Amino acid sequence: MQSKSWLIVSSVVVIAIAVAAVLCVEPAFAGKLEDAIAQTPQGAGKGMIDPKAAPGFMGIPGAPQPFWLYTILWGIWVGWIFSSVGAFGGVMAGVGHITVFGLADYGKTFKDSNPTLNKLLTDSIRVCNQYLVGLSALISSATYYRMGRLVLPLGLCLAGGGILGAYLVPVFTAGKVNLSMYVGYFGLVVFAVAGVLFYETTPKGQASRKAAKAATKAFEDAHIRKTAGASTAESDEHAHGVRVTRWSTSKIIFTFYGVEFSFNPLWPIIGGFVISAISAFIGVGGGFLYVPFLTSVAGLPMFIVAGTSALAVLVSMITSIFTYMFVKSVPIDWILVGTELVGIFIGSILGPVTSKYIPEIWLKRLFVVLALYVGIGYTTKGFLGYSVLPGM
Amino acid sequence: MHELLLAIDPFLIALYRMSGYALLDFFVGTFILASIALVIGEFTISVLFLINRKHIDKITGDVVRYQNLSVDALTAGDKESYSSANKLANEAFGKSFFMQIALSAGSLWPIFFALSWMQGRFAQIEFPLMFTGMSVGYIGVFLLMYATAYLIFKRIKYKLPYFRRIKNILDMYDQRSREMKDFSDIVPQRKQTSASGS
Repeated sequence: MQSKSWLIVSSVVVIAIAVAAVLCVEPAFAGKLEDAIAQTPQGAGKGMIDPKAAPGFMGIPGAPQPFWLYTILWGIWVGWIFSSVGAFGGVMAGVGHITVFGLADYGKTFKDSNPTLNKLLTDSIRVCNQYLVGLSALISSATYYRMGRLVLPLGLCLAGGGILGAYLVPVFTAGKVNLSMYVGYFGLVVFAVAGVLFYETTPKGQASRKAAKAATKAFEDAHIRKTAGASTAESDEHAHGVRVTRWSTSKIIFTFYGVEFSFNPLWPIIGGFVISAISAFIGVGGGFLYVPFLTSVAGLPMFIVAGTSALAVLVSMITSIFTYMFVKSVPIDWILVGTELVGIFIGSILGPVTSKYIPEIWLKRLFVVLALYVGIGYTTKGFLGYSVLPGM
Repeated sequence: MHELLLAIDPFLIALYRMSGYALLDFFVGTFILASIALVIGEFTISVLFLINRKHIDKITGDVVRYQNLSVDALTAGDKESYSSANKLANEAFGKSFFMQIALSAGSLWPIFFALSWMQGRFAQIEFPLMFTGMSVGYIGVFLLMYATAYLIFKRIKYKLPYFRRIKNILDMYDQRSREMKDFSDIVPQRKQTSASGS
């Protein structure tokens, strides 16, 4: 009952902070997109808007309007990645918005004729990226709460840092980032993802996993034999062997049979801030960063990682999306995101089917190649003005 | 407005012409629209769940198995085995997490079509918020109605035969998650600690 009270109080505090953040900075002005369109030179040339042209992305006359089937097909690709390998799906969603549907190239045409529209399109792409992943964390968090696996104090540390990062980044960068810069930074993040995936395919990365499996199997076999004959009294003694030796804002230490475990609660706050800031800036959900962070850097047990990372992604994405949309009035193309979501859930069915026939390591190798290609293409396109690789 | 939405526009706008009072009709119509989006989303995600059940079973099984092993390793004082089992538990959780993200798209997609249609019809509507100088538009009203519809549907959902079957399956997963150990299995309860005076 006590943890439920904590949950209710903490949820109210989090929601109050998010609402205050949304309402108290500046009023939302309707028609920001219409104003930007009105200020753009009229015509059929580059960097112009022809009012008589058919409406495209976000209803802008003459803007690219991806055929709905293509957005569903791309969503299937993203959903397949989520359900087969996991991380990298959000990155591919971003690639779709930037390159496949031609939105970045279209936005770049306004760099000189209407920088405001250029930056508005950048922000809209960022939010579209976030919708695909961030709102989905809502379902994950609800599921983990139902399972009783939300460990609230640590979740709040992560979420607290996450809210700050997810709020400050849109406030300070919305309307200020042009598409070239955004594409360049997106490319750098893709390099980081490529690095993580590549390590997992190397002999060292593989060896560490094999060793973990072997050690776990050995312990499991030994443990089953031992507990088959253990008495109740013995297991009671084990339970009382835990001693929490120190609680503080800088460290929590406990020992069990002389083995010491500790973690610094400051890590989740800093980690939450950095990860959500990157997620809010680039538009990738952050899920792929939270899980390895909590397990590798902080060394935390899985049952702490499970619910807290879902909660942290949820809170930071909601804050970021609301800040972009309601504080900064960034418009969204609902149909684009909606059709992509249809594709994603279709792709989620294919992932389990193909995983029976395609080993995970080959999928990861494929994604490493893709990530390097996208990373090189976007980084050069963003910072040099042209991509050294075709198709980017 | 997209051609698909234009095709269903006559049916959707009929939801907003029930009483003849504009303000009441707007809220009632939005509530019904949100309810339709909710039910379609719930149905879609339940179908996805049934199709992917074996895969979800496997991933959930791995999560529970390695998590329990990591706690058992802690209980036995074997830090090395704990680290190994925890690493595998986190990998299994990572797969489960992203699988959930993909599946949850099945619940959320109708919302975006509903919002797109409302943008075409009600983009200029705003409700001023008292004492703030700010206003809430169609998005805020829709989200509020969706949350209300969700709370109501949650209470009646499992009275419907189809969702009752889904609930029975989900209850099995809940039971499985209760098999998953955590620190409370090895840390003394606070009441026991205070009672013993330690």
